[in-house]
Amino acid sequence: MGPGEIHERLRAAHGDAILEVQEALLDPVVVVKPERLHAVARFLRDDPALRCDTLRLVTGIDRPPEAIEVVYHLLSLTHRHEVRLRVRLTREDPLVVSLQDLWPTANWHEREIYDLLGVRFSGHPNLKRLLMPVDWVGHPLRKDYVKPPEYHGIPTDRKAVMERRVTAVAPAMHEAKDVPADCFMLINMGPHHPATHGVLNFLLETDGEILRRVRADVGYLHRGMEKIAEGMTYASTMPYTDRVDYLGAMFTNHGWALAAEKLAGIEVPRRAEFCRVIASELNRIASHQIATGSLAMDVGAYTPFLHWIRERETINNLTDRICGARLTYNYMRIGGVARDIDAETIEMTRRWLDHFEPMIDEFNQLISGNEIFVRRLANVTVISPEDAIGYALVGPNLRASGVNWDIRRDEPYSIYPEFQFDVITGQGWRGGVGDAFDRFWCRMLEMYESVKILRQALDRLPEGPIRAAVPRAFKPAANEVYARVEGPRGEAGFYVVADGSDKPYRARYRTGSFTALPMIERTAPGLMLADLVALIGSLDVIAPEVDR
Amino acid sequence: MTDPAPPAVPLSCPGGEGTPLVATTTVDQFLNWFRQGSIWYLLFATACCGIELMQTGGPRTDLDRFGAVFRSSPRQSDLLIVAGTITYKMADRVRLLYAQMAEPKYVLAMGSCANCGGLFQPSYSVVPGVDAIVPVDLYLPGCPPRPEALNEAILRLQDLIASERWADRMKGRRRTPAGIVIGGAAAEA
Repeated sequence: MGPGEIHERLRAAHGDAILEVQEALLDPVVVVKPERLHAVARFLRDDPALRCDTLRLVTGIDRPPEAIEVVYHLLSLTHRHEVRLRVRLTREDPLVVSLQDLWPTANWHEREIYDLLGVRFSGHPNLKRLLMPVDWVGHPLRKDYVKPPEYHGIPTDRKAVMERRVTAVAPAMHEAKDVPADCFMLINMGPHHPATHGVLNFLLETDGEILRRVRADVGYLHRGMEKIAEGMTYASTMPYTDRVDYLGAMFTNHGWALAAEKLAGIEVPRRAEFCRVIASELNRIASHQIATGSLAMDVGAYTPFLHWIRERETINNLTDRICGARLTYNYMRIGGVARDIDAETIEMTRRWLDHFEPMIDEFNQLISGNEIFVRRLANVTVISPEDAIGYALVGPNLRASGVNWDIRRDEPYSIYPEFQFDVITGQGWRGGVGDAFDRFWCRMLEMYESVKILRQALDRLPEGPIRAAVPRAFKPAANEVYARVEGPRGEAGFYVVADGSDKPYRARYRTGSFTALPMIERTAPGLMLADLVALIGSLDVIAPEVDR
Repeated sequence: MTDPAPPAVPLSCPGGEGTPLVATTTVDQFLNWFRQGSIWYLLFATACCGIELMQTGGPRTDLDRFGAVFRSSPRQSDLLIVAGTITYKMADRVRLLYAQMAEPKYVLAMGSCANCGGLFQPSYSVVPGVDAIVPVDLYLPGCPPRPEALNEAILRLQDLIASERWADRMKGRRRTPAGIVIGGAAAEA
C-alpha cells in the first residue's frame, strides 16, 4: 500500500485524531493528537490491511522554544509498507502515552527519550534513565543543554585534565547496588566481563544456577554521537558513523551516505555502488567471524576464534588496500566512495574467496558439528516469531526465528536487486526454530551468501567514476528522511531531520543491538547462568550499537 | 619497530673452564628480566580499540611471543590496557579495576579516546582522557592503533620495566606515572 492509500484509510477511521499529513516530506509523516496516539497506533497495528507489526524506531526531537516532538516509525513486515506518526508536546511538561503495551520494543526507546530529552511516558512501567548515570543532571539532547564543568570530580574539559593528571588511585570499596527485598541472589555481570562483548552490565537475580530475573544496565559506552552529529556537517559525521558499529563500519557509513544522498537527490555512479557492495560484503564476513568465533569462545572453544582472527587479518589487509583502514573505514562519501578498488585488489579478493570458502567448511568441522557445542546452543532460548517481531529484532536474529525479511531484498537499496543470493531463515537445524544454534548457523550460512555476492560483484564491476559531483557546501533543503541498510547485526538505519543548513538538525541511529538487548531481559529468566552467555553471544550484541 | 631488548643477564664462569656454569647478575636485572617477559594484560576492551587488541593477540601479531597474555581478572594482571572510550558512567569502574590490580602495575592508554577523548571530546558523556581517572604510563595514539603500534607499546613497556630499581620499591617509594608517548608527541595534539 502506498502512503496515499494508508493515509486515506487512517483518515477514514481516525480522521478526528489527525492534525496534519506532511506528505511533502521524503518520508511522509502523519501528525496526530497526543491524546489519541494510542488508539491510532492500535488501529495501525491491528487493522488487517495495514498491520504495522513492527515499531522500528522512536525518536524525540527538541524544537525550542515551545515544542518537543516524538516520531514513531512503523513498519509492516506483512505488507511491506511504512507509516510514521508524529506527536507534538509542550516543552515545559512533555507527556505522552506509552506504547510499550502494543510493541514491547517501545519500552527501551521511551526510556532513552526520557533520559535524553525529558519526555515522560504515561503507563510506562520503568521510566528511569537508560544511558546516562542515574545522578546525571539535565537532558543532553535538548538544544539548550550545557555540559557541566565536571562530574564526580572528573573535569569535562581536556585542558583541565592536563593540569591535574591523576598520579595515584586510593583503593576504594565498591558501592553495592540496591537489592530488592524479594531478591534471590544478586550477581553483577559486567560491565567488565569477557563474555558481554563490550561494556554491558547485567544484574542477575539467581536461585542457585537458575536465573530468575535479568536486568540490563547499559550506557557505559554512550558517547553522545547523536548530539555530536548536530554540530557537524553531513560529511564530517561520516567518521563518527564508523564508530556506531565498529564491526560493521561499512554499513553505518553506507546508511549515512544513503540518508544524505536521499536528502539532496544525488545519483551515485554505478562503479561506486559496486565498490560499496564489495566493501560491505567483505565487512559482513569479518563481522560474522567475530560473532561466531566469539560465541564459540564464550561457550568454551578458543581455537575456532583464533582461526577466524587469522582469516579476518586477510580481510583487514583487503580493506586496508581498499580504503586505508583496518577497522574504522570511513570509506563511503556522500555521492560515492573515497577510493577506487584497483585491479590487484580485485585479484587478491578473488584469490582469498577461493581460499576462504573451504575455510568455512574447516571451521564447521572444527566446531559447528561438535556435540558439546551443539548441546550448548540447541533449544536454548527459543525466540518465537511473534516475540522477534514485537521486540523489533532485525537481521540474522529475526531471520533465525523464521521471519523471512532481509532489507537487501525487501526494501532494496544500492544495486542489491541485481545479485543472486538466498535469504537464510532459521529451520530448527538442531532444535526449535529460533534457538541459539539457529542464530549461529544463520550467520555461518550468510557468509556463503556474502561470498556469492562478492563473486558476482567482482565479475561485473563496471568502469566509470567513483564519485558524483557533490557541491562543497552541502546544504540539503529542510526535509526528513529515513535510510537503512542490512548490516551484519540487522538494520542500520539513519533518521535525519534537515533544516536547510549544512548540519543535520537531528540525527537518530537505529541499530540492531539496541532492540536485541531487551530480548535478553525477556528470554533469560529460567535459563541456567551459563546459558546466558550463549544467549548474549548468539544475539551478537555489541555495546556501541546499544549505547551509541 | 625496534627489536625486543635482549635479556640483560650476563653469563660468566668465575671459576674458569670446566667449573659449573654460574650466572651472576644484579637483583634488578634478574627480577626485571622475569617481569619483562610476563606482562599479563587485563582484557579491558570498551570500544573499537578492543577489536584491534583482539587482532593483536591473534595469530599474526601474536603478543604471546613477549609473554604478554590476556587475563580476565584484574587480580592477575600487570598491565591495564584501556582500549577504548571511557564514559563518565564507566569512570568509577575503571578506577575500581585499577585499584584491584596488584603492584607493580602499569596503564597503557590505547587509542585517541583513552589518550584525550579523541573524536569524542565534544561529547557530553566522554571522559577527556583516561589520565583524569588513573595514572597513565604509556600513551598510544591512533584511532584505532594498528597491531604493530600496540606491539611497539608492549616493547616500550618492557624498556620501562627494565629501567626500574627493586630497592626503590622496597623502600616504599611511589612510582610516578611515566607518561611516555609512543611515536612522539602526537597524542597531546
